[in-house]
Amino acid sequence: MSQSDKLLVVRDLATTFATAGGPLAAVGGVSFDLGQNETLGIVGESGSGKTVLSRTIMGLQPRTNVTVSGSAVLNGFEVVGASEKSKRQIWGTEVAMVFQDPMTSLNPVMRIGKQIDESLRVRLDMSRADAKARAIELLELVGIPSPAQRYHVYPGQMSGGMRQRVVIAIALAGSPKLLMADEPTTGLDVTIQAQILNLLDELKDRLKMSVILVTHDLGVVATRTSRIVVMYAGRIVEMGSTREVFHHHRMPYTRALLESSPKVSSPSHTRLTTIPGRPPNLLKLSDGCAFAPRCAYATERCHTDRPELEEAAEPGHLFACWNPLHVTTGARHS
Amino acid sequence: MSELLDEFSMVERPEKGEPLGILFWICICWITLNVIGAIFANVLPLQNPLYEDFNAINAGPGLHHLFGTDDLGRDIFARVVYGSRVSITVGVGAMLIGFGIGAPLGMLAAYRRGRFDMIVTAVMYVLLAFPAIIATIAVLSFWAPRSLLKIILVIGLASVPLVYRVIRTATMSVATKDYIIAAKVQGATDGRILVKELLPNIAPIGVSFLLIGVATVITLEGALAFLGLSVNPPTPSWGNMINESRTVMAENPWLVIFPSLALCLFLLGLNFIGDRLRNHFDVTEVKL
Repeated sequence: MSQSDKLLVVRDLATTFATAGGPLAAVGGVSFDLGQNETLGIVGESGSGKTVLSRTIMGLQPRTNVTVSGSAVLNGFEVVGASEKSKRQIWGTEVAMVFQDPMTSLNPVMRIGKQIDESLRVRLDMSRADAKARAIELLELVGIPSPAQRYHVYPGQMSGGMRQRVVIAIALAGSPKLLMADEPTTGLDVTIQAQILNLLDELKDRLKMSVILVTHDLGVVATRTSRIVVMYAGRIVEMGSTREVFHHHRMPYTRALLESSPKVSSPSHTRLTTIPGRPPNLLKLSDGCAFAPRCAYATERCHTDRPELEEAAEPGHLFACWNPLHVTTGARHS
Repeated sequence: MSELLDEFSMVERPEKGEPLGILFWICICWITLNVIGAIFANVLPLQNPLYEDFNAINAGPGLHHLFGTDDLGRDIFARVVYGSRVSITVGVGAMLIGFGIGAPLGMLAAYRRGRFDMIVTAVMYVLLAFPAIIATIAVLSFWAPRSLLKIILVIGLASVPLVYRVIRTATMSVATKDYIIAAKVQGATDGRILVKELLPNIAPIGVSFLLIGVATVITLEGALAFLGLSVNPPTPSWGNMINESRTVMAENPWLVIFPSLALCLFLLGLNFIGDRLRNHFDVTEVKL
């Protein structure tokens, strides 16, 4: 892949919060690339830093008590260190965001049509009538029935799935090149989840966007992403094509994650596999591998030396582990 | 199939919240009547509120003097209507000052947070800790001569910390919502977020607090008048009418009943409207 096909280049990105207990590295030096029209999945447990990573790439940080280092170049624009004013130029048009909970990501006192209109009129300088026509088009695009009527409806009058479609329509208003979807289906029913994910997938191809799908649910990323980044304690522990990560993962944490998701093939009332222990306290990380205390394969070295990402058999497949699993250990996922 | 599912998953709700009810409209009519009376008092066929008719002193309510007359023979009905001018002007004027300063500050502090919020909030809480009524009395006693404008200004400034606190808290609960971040990542400027996203969300709270605030200020003006610190007699206000009548209350109870009744009903109306509006515009709750 040449440099020009890359929409997003992240190098050594680190986000550190100043807390009462000392500096907390929520994201501790992450590097990856994202190509044009590609879907990347970022997976990890709660507290693994995936949300902070996605927000940092967007340039969304609290105003105080946070330091960001490294670089995240989005379509030629360096996000790290950019001013609010310059970031406003890329927000909406280069990158847009779909939020986790559609119940809170729409303004309850504004008709949904107006919420879509807003950015069209302000950012793209459309006339009132053009913006309305385009907003209805967008509502239709995201699969909302009778969009012209729904245009006048308040968010409170819609169901969760419909609201999430509206949130997506708003995100698409500025024709962004990158859509950041942070747990876009966590707040929805299972049947609606599939609809929303299929919609995102379809829109990605139709509008030639790239999508970053942040989730803790491996089922979500399995069929819809081309590559997966697995995060643990703010670092990437494994990364590669979805196929490789599912079938030839090397890092024990990835395997533990895969095994802890429920499977249709298991007999009913099978106990779900869990990862023993708890996610680490980011303030008290050892010098070794952050997963070592919970890892069944951990050796002496794991507790004292941190493994760096190394290349696996397939190019582009990287993992960080001193005692990698054998390639033959495939998961039962397909 | 999925189209059908979508149609079903769309929950239809009546567009508006709780119905306003007949009492609400009665209150609106009553308040409007009062306000019109206050504005057009000098055009309406009223007797001169300052004219002392010595042939009719302490008269009870009757045809000639609707609410009767006071101990100087002045028409109480005319005085109540003229008195509403002072009360309403002070109430509305002071609240406009209070909201004009307190609301933008509160919104900005809650939205920006950080040092700005810290400093402004600290100052406001210090002001809040100081008893407003004492401060108002002190300032009004020394700042002679008294005028309506000064009273409005003093009460208005005294209400700033109260308004600030309510608006800041209301804004804070909205400012951290995802839709504010959503607006931001769509490229909305801070000013736009404040006016278009935050303001409509806190407006219902603001409006009901405004109406209740007007009512509170009118009572405060009454209290000041009772202490002789409001407008100078013989200009009537509801407060100073009640104050002046207290010496003759035993002989002529009408003198205290009518201005008190006017004050009471006006406040009741305002409070009721504020309360109803808040319930009505509460579109934020999904009631299933």
